[in-house]
Amino acid sequence: MALFRLNPLAPQEPALSIANTDDVLQLGDRLKGVRLIALRFPKFTDGRAYSQARLLRERLGYGGELRATGAVFLDQLPFLLRCGFDSFESDQKGFGPALAKARTLFSVVYQPTGDGRATAGQLRLGRRNSVAA
Amino acid sequence: MPDTHFYRYDDYDRALVAERVEQFRDQVQRRLAGELTEEQFKPLRLTNGLYLQLHAYMLRIAIPYGTLSTRQLRHLAAIARKYDRGYGHFTTRQNLQLNWIKLEQAPDAIAMLAEVDMHAIQTSGNVIRNVTADHFAGAAADEIEDPRVWCEIIRQWSTLHPEFSFLPRKFKIAITGSPNDRAAVRVHDIGLRLWANEAGEVGFEVIVGGGLGRTPMIGKTLREFLPKDELLAYLEATLRVYNRYGRRDNIYKARIKILVHEIGVEKMRAEVEAEYAATKDGALKLAPETIEAIARQFAPPPLRPKRTKVPEVEALKLENRAFALWLKSNVAPHRVPGHAIVTASLKPAGAPPGDASAAQMEGVADIADAFSQGEVRVSHEQNLVFPHVAVESLPEVYRALERLGFAEANIGKITDIIACPGLDYCALANARSIPVAQRISNHFAELSRQHDIGDLKIKISGCINACGHHHVGHIGILGVDKNGVELYQLSLGGDVDFGRTALGTILGPAVEADKVVEAVDALVATYLEARQAGERFVDTYRRIGAAPFKERVYGAV
Amino acid sequence: MAKNLSGELHVASANRLGDGLVVFLDDAGQWTTRLDRAALARDERAAEILLQRAQAEAFGVVDPFLVAVTESEDGTLEPLSLREKIRASGLTFAAIAGEAVRYA
Repeated sequence: MALFRLNPLAPQEPALSIANTDDVLQLGDRLKGVRLIALRFPKFTDGRAYSQARLLRERLGYGGELRATGAVFLDQLPFLLRCGFDSFESDQKGFGPALAKARTLFSVVYQPTGDGRATAGQLRLGRRNSVAA
Repeated sequence: MPDTHFYRYDDYDRALVAERVEQFRDQVQRRLAGELTEEQFKPLRLTNGLYLQLHAYMLRIAIPYGTLSTRQLRHLAAIARKYDRGYGHFTTRQNLQLNWIKLEQAPDAIAMLAEVDMHAIQTSGNVIRNVTADHFAGAAADEIEDPRVWCEIIRQWSTLHPEFSFLPRKFKIAITGSPNDRAAVRVHDIGLRLWANEAGEVGFEVIVGGGLGRTPMIGKTLREFLPKDELLAYLEATLRVYNRYGRRDNIYKARIKILVHEIGVEKMRAEVEAEYAATKDGALKLAPETIEAIARQFAPPPLRPKRTKVPEVEALKLENRAFALWLKSNVAPHRVPGHAIVTASLKPAGAPPGDASAAQMEGVADIADAFSQGEVRVSHEQNLVFPHVAVESLPEVYRALERLGFAEANIGKITDIIACPGLDYCALANARSIPVAQRISNHFAELSRQHDIGDLKIKISGCINACGHHHVGHIGILGVDKNGVELYQLSLGGDVDFGRTALGTILGPAVEADKVVEAVDALVATYLEARQAGERFVDTYRRIGAAPFKERVYGAV
Repeated sequence: MAKNLSGELHVASANRLGDGLVVFLDDAGQWTTRLDRAALARDERAAEILLQRAQAEAFGVVDPFLVAVTESEDGTLEPLSLREKIRASGLTFAAIAGEAVRYA
């Protein structure tokens, strides 16, 4: 299993591994000082960890490394990145190059998430305002 | 060519669809090269609308809110010719299915769709599907607000949603803007009904957990009144609760209706409201300018009021009985006086319900260009609709439809049958649907008899997944396989009208394929004898109960 | 799959990956669209071997499986189940042609 990290300098300890049935909103103080959280995809079609990731990043303000483990395929990468994952365990062929490309695969996004990308809606609003001004 | 009166893609929408085509092209290449197994590839192709059916691949193309420009419809015809066998099937969810697609050509077919701002994104798979709307939206006399504005807002929000692309199961949303629900909102995962409260503000009733399939359920009200600008935040909260807690251990228990059923609507509401409270003032709150910019694109065509009594129409009514019947069943009131909404029947006697050839699609486009502001709608009852026709043009539209074979005066009648593709095409089916529909259609073809029988909805599914909506047919027909023999189970009393939504009750033992027509005939005869003035089939059934019907059917069969 | 094993005679079938068409494995280990060229397994043991061969040749097809068939006196094969009959011989009604303006 190869590990792909977007931020290789990030210190990894202490770490937490969370099942996708766990309620991350109950973690409370256990998140303090944590540098790495591993979320699991038992099958790549089981999407619970996407919600966990967004709650960790956007609701709980978790800023450490967020790792996708288990059945992690390159076709999920655009989604994983948008939900806040920044490291990935995968043995799929071509995963590394796919990761390099995944951010630019879609130049447009519609949903606001914690990744900070401006959505099509926000960009349109900006355009209209600049036309109006 | 007339301007369109619905959402036009901008460069953002176009870029995303084009990028999705290229992503899919790469996925197909990897599958053909053996880099992806079928197990890995299947969810990827499904979320782009590509199934592997009995004889070939099937591509399901989204027709958002059932609205098409004539340019798009002609392009669909061209795609059907180039990449398929020259015909398509309009479905109960405002999609078009092409039945003979090659995997090797699927990326090119989808690229050709993108040329007219169309796609097959999320027409299958465990994702938020194409959002459906009242097919009379923007034209109906009874409408409070055009639901398509909100369908488009949801379309964008749900497209490639990073959190909700691997849900426990598929997720279907429908929206109605009229008190007379034509979008079946109580039998969707989420149904949205626009209504005006006492203060005169328009908002949504949010209905959750309806659906047909193996475990049919009527949706329950999750929120009585939701301010419109909070729609996306509320949907995201609901989907998040479903994504986290929906069952994944059993595919037959994975729909949101099971979650709502198991935890109860009160608990579901508490969960959704808690999640919503944490996000409602965030980035998903819709700015008034955003709503307005989309709403402006759905501005109705500038129709001037016209004469409502036109001598030519009145004269033709007297001399042509079929035209008079057609006016009654296929023409609905428009909000602008002197205009009408016309439904073209894709159910001529003996035809596979919902099918149209490429030439017919082009013929429909010609009629819409000449008489309906260049716009066509697809109804969930598998017909095509001209939303804006001047009353004075009705004779010409009728004659043009006659030439196409789509002038059957049978909308809402016994031969306006909904049928899934069934075992002739579908890998999931247990029994055939289309041949059964054809036999019933031929048997009851005589128009004046159909009009005497009145409103009667027959819905046929070839398996328990209920794509033919048999649970909500006045007469529902479900094909089952018993030791290799096709049998058909009849149910009575289903309905999708708002406020009357009901699931049908099974009448008795399933009957053999060649007895279905006799059985339906017996049901109709029972009704005709027992009906009181003004009663539809389903009203009589409700008044007198199943026993007389049962006796007649099983006596006759 | 079990219900396809109910007869004694079997052929191996699949859908071709590239175009989805129904194919059968022939005696030479090639996939053919013609049922009359399909390799026929005459007993349970032969059926198991046929399925293994089909799976070994599965690169260009999707999910091979066994289809129970009957053989008439002149050697014509016909699938037992309605589903497989339809897969082998196509729609049971006439679809509308692309240039047709009426269904007939």
